[in-house]
Amino acid sequence: MQWTLNYEETWVHRLNPAFKLVFFLLLFLLLLFIHNPNIITNITVVPLLLLLFSTGHQKKVLLILMLPFLLLFFSSASSMMFFGQGSTTWWKWGLIHITEESFYRGLHIGFRALNFALLGLLFALTTRPVYLFYSLIQQLKVPPRFAYSFMAAVRILPVMLEEFQQLRAALLIRGVKKKKGYRRITQTITLYAVPLLSQSIRRAHRIAVAMEAKRFNNNKRTYYYKPTFSKFDLLFLLYTTIGFGVAFWVGDTFPYFDSTDVRQK
Amino acid sequence: MKLKLSDILITIVIALVFGIIYKLWGPVYSLFKPFGLHIGDVIYGMWFIAGTVAMLLLRKPGVALLAETAAASGEFLVGSEYGLSVLLYGIIQGLGTELMFALFGYKRYTAFVAALGGIAAAVGSLIMDAAYGYVMDLALWNLLLLIGARLIGGFLIAGLLAYFLVEALEKTGVTSLIRPASDEDYKALDR
Repeated sequence: MQWTLNYEETWVHRLNPAFKLVFFLLLFLLLLFIHNPNIITNITVVPLLLLLFSTGHQKKVLLILMLPFLLLFFSSASSMMFFGQGSTTWWKWGLIHITEESFYRGLHIGFRALNFALLGLLFALTTRPVYLFYSLIQQLKVPPRFAYSFMAAVRILPVMLEEFQQLRAALLIRGVKKKKGYRRITQTITLYAVPLLSQSIRRAHRIAVAMEAKRFNNNKRTYYYKPTFSKFDLLFLLYTTIGFGVAFWVGDTFPYFDSTDVRQK
Repeated sequence: MKLKLSDILITIVIALVFGIIYKLWGPVYSLFKPFGLHIGDVIYGMWFIAGTVAMLLLRKPGVALLAETAAASGEFLVGSEYGLSVLLYGIIQGLGTELMFALFGYKRYTAFVAALGGIAAAVGSLIMDAAYGYVMDLALWNLLLLIGARLIGGFLIAGLLAYFLVEALEKTGVTSLIRPASDEDYKALDR
């Protein structure tokens, strides 16, 4: 979602959105079947380069968005590193038991999570939701009822944000005090979640009635946006295939970690 | 009972709201599990809540799956740090919740069934974790801690908290707009 970010359009923006989604899903599945930490570490470079140089966003914005990834890397890797099974003990202290096997497995999970994060951010930064839904209807035959509901719902979100700010200001002016402990949760639900949700349910209902009154249905229709395939899709396919190929080859011939398969034997 | 356009739209609107919460929940969760002890997995249940809330509100087959998938897509579109994996997690968690309501023939919408739905979603997420994070290779006590915390989270947040939220929403009268007319409604007309 990029209503607020300034950016230049690059070739990654011009990819067919449905193709991009399906292709990313395939990459995701491929990553699940890689068990060699050398290869997955190399692969990380492929989305990283695209993200840094081809999204058309400012470097500052990119860095801020990628900052939580460090936390993600450690939080995904830590439990497997400290508490995984393995036979070659490196360090033991109380419950913490770091073995060679569990360390590499943790590292592998960390890099896998990092890859998903980079690919996900790449997709989010270079895809306009409206194009994506039009493309899903036309290329993947998603029923228009679902796709248009999505687009309408996306439009409701900023209205909700405004309502939230209004609510907060209204509560502040009435001097509502924050409660402590678990009562804070019930208070938040009754003061914020209930009014916000009930209002948007009513709004969604009204929109649906209006759409049907205008004869919106699942039948054949014409489209304002017609996403097609282009040479950029081919370029993207080539870039990823070559990138992954090189990553596999380098990981296989010049391994720098001792482990080549992180699964428990 | 087929889903009408208004059902789909309302489900997706609710789901997208939770999708934003899902996205904000990522860093919270990362902070909560600093040393891999999985205590923080109790709050993981927040990621299943869209399915139960939508199902309790709309009471039609398919709503839980649609809501959880839509919430995951929303989370993905705003740039979740878990990337595309959230889509697959969303689908399998939604299926878990959906299955529980289906087991009761889409007739019972009590706190008990909601809690079961939350737990089933947690089981779904664990299945994904086995493929994605090799969780089966954790030391046994650590694995049990993970499973226990995850299930409790599903029970508390996606089950009970969701039920409480919907009960509070019912008081606003908004549910009369969206639920299919029940036998009791028809009887009330005869009186």
